[in-house]
This record gives sequence, structure tokens and C-alpha cells, in this order.
Amino acid sequence: MTTIQPAVPGPATSGPAIELVEISKRYDKTRALRGVNLDIESAEFLVLLGPSGCGKSTLLKIIAGLEDPNDGEVYINGRLANYLRPKDRDVSMVFQNYALYPHMTVGTNIGFPLKMRKRPADEVASRVREVATLLELTDQLEKYPDQLSGGQRQRVALGRAIIRQPVAFLMDEPLSNLDALLRVQMRTELLRLHRRVGRTTVYVTHDQVEAMTMADRIVVLRDGVIQQVGTTDEVYGRPANRFVATFVGSPPMSLFPGRVTHGDGGARRFQGGLTVDLPAGPAIDGEITLGVRPEGFHVVGPTDAGAIEATVELVESVGADEYLSVRMGPETTATVRVESGSGIADGQRIHVRADPAAVHLFDAEGNRVPTEAKHP
Amino acid sequence: MAAQVIGRRSPQDAAAVAEHQRRAQRRGRIIGIGRHLVLALICFILVAPFYYVVLASLKDSTGIFQYPPKLIPFPPYFGNYERLLTDTAFPRWMLNTLFVATSVTVCKIFLDSMAGYALAKLDITGKRIVFMLLLLLLMVPFGALIIPLWTLVYTLGLLNTYWALILPALANPLGVFLMRQFILGLPRDLENAARLDGVSEFGIYWRIILPLIKPGLVVLAVIIFTDQFMSFVWPLISTSSDDVELVTVGVAALRSHGGVDYGLWSASAVMSMIPIGIVFFVLQRQFLARSLAGALKQ
Repeated sequence: MTTIQPAVPGPATSGPAIELVEISKRYDKTRALRGVNLDIESAEFLVLLGPSGCGKSTLLKIIAGLEDPNDGEVYINGRLANYLRPKDRDVSMVFQNYALYPHMTVGTNIGFPLKMRKRPADEVASRVREVATLLELTDQLEKYPDQLSGGQRQRVALGRAIIRQPVAFLMDEPLSNLDALLRVQMRTELLRLHRRVGRTTVYVTHDQVEAMTMADRIVVLRDGVIQQVGTTDEVYGRPANRFVATFVGSPPMSLFPGRVTHGDGGARRFQGGLTVDLPAGPAIDGEITLGVRPEGFHVVGPTDAGAIEATVELVESVGADEYLSVRMGPETTATVRVESGSGIADGQRIHVRADPAAVHLFDAEGNRVPTEAKHP
Repeated sequence: MAAQVIGRRSPQDAAAVAEHQRRAQRRGRIIGIGRHLVLALICFILVAPFYYVVLASLKDSTGIFQYPPKLIPFPPYFGNYERLLTDTAFPRWMLNTLFVATSVTVCKIFLDSMAGYALAKLDITGKRIVFMLLLLLLMVPFGALIIPLWTLVYTLGLLNTYWALILPALANPLGVFLMRQFILGLPRDLENAARLDGVSEFGIYWRIILPLIKPGLVVLAVIIFTDQFMSFVWPLISTSSDDVELVTVGVAALRSHGGVDYGLWSASAVMSMIPIGIVFFVLQRQFLARSLAGALKQ
């Protein structure tokens, strides 16, 4: 029977658990973060998602106090934390390579944060037992980290983080060292643990599947700038710009550049001959890019309205679905999703049509042009 | 057609394979014998002088020059050892040496590991310059330092004291360099985890770094202890009294004290080797394990 307490909002927790205001960070001439503003709610599971070098780990270290921002403020539980040492910030962190102390047993590793805070030995021992029970590590307490499997080590790292019951858990790509199967298992375990413990969690990953399956909200970062903050549905279904549209989703969204002169809806042609009935809502003028996800295409007959001929270059089966890499013109390729067993083969000529309700539009700067007016 | 051929072998092919294996075995045996002969020769070259010294220490003055020499000294003669322990200040020299070597080893292990940690992990302004200076200092031969060092020690009034033997040895940068390289290999996340767990900077060094570099510390301890135990030039010029004289200087001075006495010299050489042998024997497992691990990692 564990007594790990759920998050209890204290007097200062009426606002966000963590608040970042205009955070900037430079390394020599490289700008790792630029003016990041973010509120992280209490008990929220927030995922920082982005490609390597986008600044997501730096942001996590700034919250933890392991790096100092050049500008901006960090508030934890409503308190300015810029000048607090890492140990005084009331956050705990799980590292990519677990960072377990190899010369200590599992039990000592888990109890170490409490021991360092000079808690009585019997309290430490009882809390270690609670956490070990929660993480199913009771049989491993006397072992050393090098005697454990990858998944067990990851659980020990989690145990060391949760034993203190901090305001927030910071997780820096904690599953990236595990094999694919174990990663899926640990993903489920992490979510279960999050719901049970109920603490704010900030989770860094470059794996969009991890982000989309785990997050309450996703923060997409690129070159140190937040591109979009939203739920999985928002980020996937209404990407804020071309970068988010192509970074989130696998296979990525296909893009078709085009030009619209003082358009106000109606059928428009894009690169590769793709014709789409554009929405009538917002006025569209100038350079524009049409984005279609693989499921936004349909294989149709040659006489259907908007049908365009394409050559299948590759068929990739992923079980229930097949992804077709098709060529629509000399410089135009796209990915089309069809159900498995479609019988379509490499080199075959097919006709596809983009569903007007599933297209995304981006202006010349790459920002999203709302299309919801016509397709609520 | 091809599938039928797989797994079949003609008698001629089988004979050829067997002949090839026989030749390979014969060649392997010849190479093995040659390798052992070379190793035996190297062993003989290394061990023979040591055995001869032990032999001489267990013979009286006539036995040493006897021809042909007795390779097994029976009955052994312990008079050389008795004279060494009673007629000379050997026990005092040995105590001095053990005291100095142990002091230097303990202090240097502590100082070098702390400096190595600072140079490897802490953000200190100018630490690259400090490290480059340490490397430069490693390249300066000891002979070039003798006069300035002697002048410094003389000016401080430390000649003929233990301080003269201990303090200069602490400034050797080799240990700092070794420790820095060891500590650089430790992942930074370990320190960060410790910082979040509430450990102070000194606590990180003491509780996390030191236990993890224990094999490196053992290697360094053996190097420093051996170096101190065998050092001769600096103890010779910085001390002149029996009270602080070290075993290397004392043994060398036996010649001037009592003329040529090979039995006594041999006994002193054997006795001098005992402490260093014990240190190496006690630490050899860790020492060899670490050396091997380092070699394999390369």
C-alpha cells in the first residue's frame, strides 16, 4: 500500500506550477532560446518537442537551475527561481542516461535525495519501500545499477525523482535509450505513474509519437523559438506553421506551392497540377502553400472532379495501412495513405484527389491561413 | 543443382582440408614454443639480477666470491641483515621513507583529485590556461628545477626537515593531469543529478566523484608511492642528517661508512624492496584491472 501523495496545491499554486517569462539563452554566438514564454499548469503533462538542437533540453535545464538564462524569469510555484540553487527549486529530474550512482545500491539511489535533506533514516527507509512498491522494484533494492535491465534502471531513476514529491518532474528524453518494445511499455508506465502521482511533468523528446501519445499539451520548438503550444489534436490538426505541419506527423504532410491572385475561394491549381476548392472565408492573395496529410488524399477514378494522375514510386506497408510515395510531376511528390491490401504496386499509375476539408494553407511566411470558415 | 552440391565434399577435398588443419596445428605449436622461449629469456633477464642480490644477501663475505657460486644458499647466512639492522641507521631511514612516501601519497591523492575535478568539471575562468601551464610544467626536466627549488627551500629554512621532502613533491602536476583525464570521462548528468538531489559541490566531489575514480586513485597512489620511495637526487641534496635521511640516500652512503661490503649492500637492497612489494601486492588487483580496462577502452 503506497502513500505517495497526489499533488497538493499550496497557497502559491493558484497560478501555473511553472512560469517562464521571456527566457533567452546564448552560448557564445549561438542563440539557444529566444524569448520563450510558457505557463505550465499544475499536474499537467507537458511535452517539449523539436528536432535536435532546438533548445528543448536547455529549457529543461534552465527550469532545473542547471543552466542560467541570459534573460528572462523562471517562476516555480509562483516564486521567482532564477537565483535559487537546483536543490532549492523543488523539482526533480530524470536524465536520458538515467544518471544512477553506480557505486550505490538501488535502495540507496532511491533514498539519496532524502538522505541529503537529512531526513531520519527510518523515514528514508519507509519511503524507499513505498516507492519501490509503486515501481515494482522491491526485489531489486540490494542490487547495483549495473545488475539491472534498461527498464529497471529507468524505474530506479523515476523512483529517485518521485521520492521527494516535488512540484514538478523534469524528464530529458528518458526513454530514448530503451529498445522499441520497452519504450512503448515504459511510456504506458510513465503515464500511469503520472496519473497516480499527479505532479506537473515537463517531458523533453524529439520523438513525435511519444509526444502525441503522452502529452496533455505539446510545445513545438525550433531554433529556440516556440512554434506552437497546443493539445495533440491542435498541433496535428491545425499546425500553426509549415514547420509544425511537416515536423509533426509521420509520414510528414505533403506541400504544394502555388500562387493565388486576389482569390476569394474557388478551385485553384497548385504545383503538380493539384486542384483544390479553396475556402471562401479569408481573402487569399499571393504566394501560398497547400499542405495535405497522407490521409487527406483519396485514390479515385480518372473522371472524378479534382482527380490528378500520379505514378506510385514506392509502397510501404505498416500493417493496417499502406503509404504510397507518388510522383505528380517532375518536382512534385506526395504521400498517400490507403488501406492495407489495396493491390496498388510500385510503378502503377493511379489518380488521387485532395479532400478540401483536410487541406492546410500557409502564407508566404509559412504561417497558417485559417480554413475553418468554410469547413467548420 | 547448386542446392545439391551444398553439404557434399569429395574425398580429395576432405583430405586437403585435413592436411591444411594438420599444417596449421604444427605451425601453431612451433609458434607457441618460440613464444615461450622468448618469454623465458625475458623472465631470466629480469629475475636473475634480483635473485643474485637475494643470494648475495644470504652469504657471508667469502661465500659471495666463491667460485663456482652456490645458487642455493644453504645454510643461509643472516649476519648481513643483523648488521644492517643493528650497526646502521637503516630502521630510521626506512621509517623516514615510509613517513614521507605515505604523507606525499595521501596529500597528493587528495589535492590532485580535487584539482582534477575542478579542471574537468567546474566552470572556472582561466582553467584552460591553468591546464596548459600544468602541461608545460610536465615537460620541464627535474634537473632544471633543482637549483631554484633548493634556493626556495633554503630560504624558507626547511632544509633537513620532513617539509623539504614532502612539500616539493606535492607540486608535481602529473597527478592533476591524470585525475583530470579520469574525471573528464564521467558523465556530467551524474553531477547534475547530485545537484538536484541536494548535494553540495564538495559533496559531489566526495560522495560521487571520488568513489567512481577509485581505480584511478589506486593507480595514482602506486605511482606516487613508488616514485617517492625510489627518489634519490632531491633527498640527497635537501637532507644531510640521519634523522631525516631516506633509505635510498642512506643505502648509497653505506659505501662511504664501511667500505665495500657487498653482503650488507645486498641485504639493504632486499629490505628496501619489501615495503614497495607489499604496496604493489595489496593493490595489484585494482592496479592491473584498471590498466587492462584502460587498454581495452583505447
